[in-house]
Amino acid sequence: MWLKLAGGIVIVLVSTYVGFQMAARCNGRPQHIRQIGCCLASLKSYIHYASLPLQEAMKQCTQGIHGPVAEFFHRIANILEEHSQQSPQEAIQTALEEFTGKLLLKQPELELLELLGANLGIMNRQEQVNYLTMIIEQFEKLEIEAVRFRDLNTKMYRYLGLCGGLALVILLV
Amino acid sequence: MGLDILFKIAGVGILVSVFHTALKQAGKEDMAHLCTLAGFTIVLLWVVQLLGKLFNTVQDVFKLF
Repeated sequence: MWLKLAGGIVIVLVSTYVGFQMAARCNGRPQHIRQIGCCLASLKSYIHYASLPLQEAMKQCTQGIHGPVAEFFHRIANILEEHSQQSPQEAIQTALEEFTGKLLLKQPELELLELLGANLGIMNRQEQVNYLTMIIEQFEKLEIEAVRFRDLNTKMYRYLGLCGGLALVILLV
Repeated sequence: MGLDILFKIAGVGILVSVFHTALKQAGKEDMAHLCTLAGFTIVLLWVVQLLGKLFNTVQDVFKLF
């Protein structure tokens, strides 16, 4: 009897935890997209007005931003510094592979970041600024969509976690 | 048979209704219907077993077959 009770409580707690974790991932995505947008806007300014080298601009653009997004941009800068033969696209791809679990991004954002790498550092300054403006606009659209997705799904994940655990306990008892 | 099966069925019903509401609010009507169907199937499995027992009892009581 006590064993059943303890097992049931453990199942409910674990499923609730999983539900809340999924809700937290859902919550974190718009924030990460917003932070990437801020970094890119800052990067655009550093390229346009300060004409900094790419790795230096990548490091500077994360000022005021903390967490995985800042670490991601720092990592790209480090890769560009350490392996100067690598193109920005390769550096971004390597950094994306390293930050797979830390960045709470989905496929559209990842594709956009890879697209960013494809044209960064090869065109002239004005073209890069235009290109970055376009990418930032795309990120803004994705942020709106991510916020809508978060509003819809955060509560659902929490409810499903708790109720799924309860349903499992009822079925097992 | 105790009352526990009735409480289990009631519990599944309440949880399925919560699932349905949560999924419907999230705009996933198809998943909500699927979830309701799954709950209904589980309860039906329990009830069918009980009905089988009932028929066997009726057969024994009235000496049928």
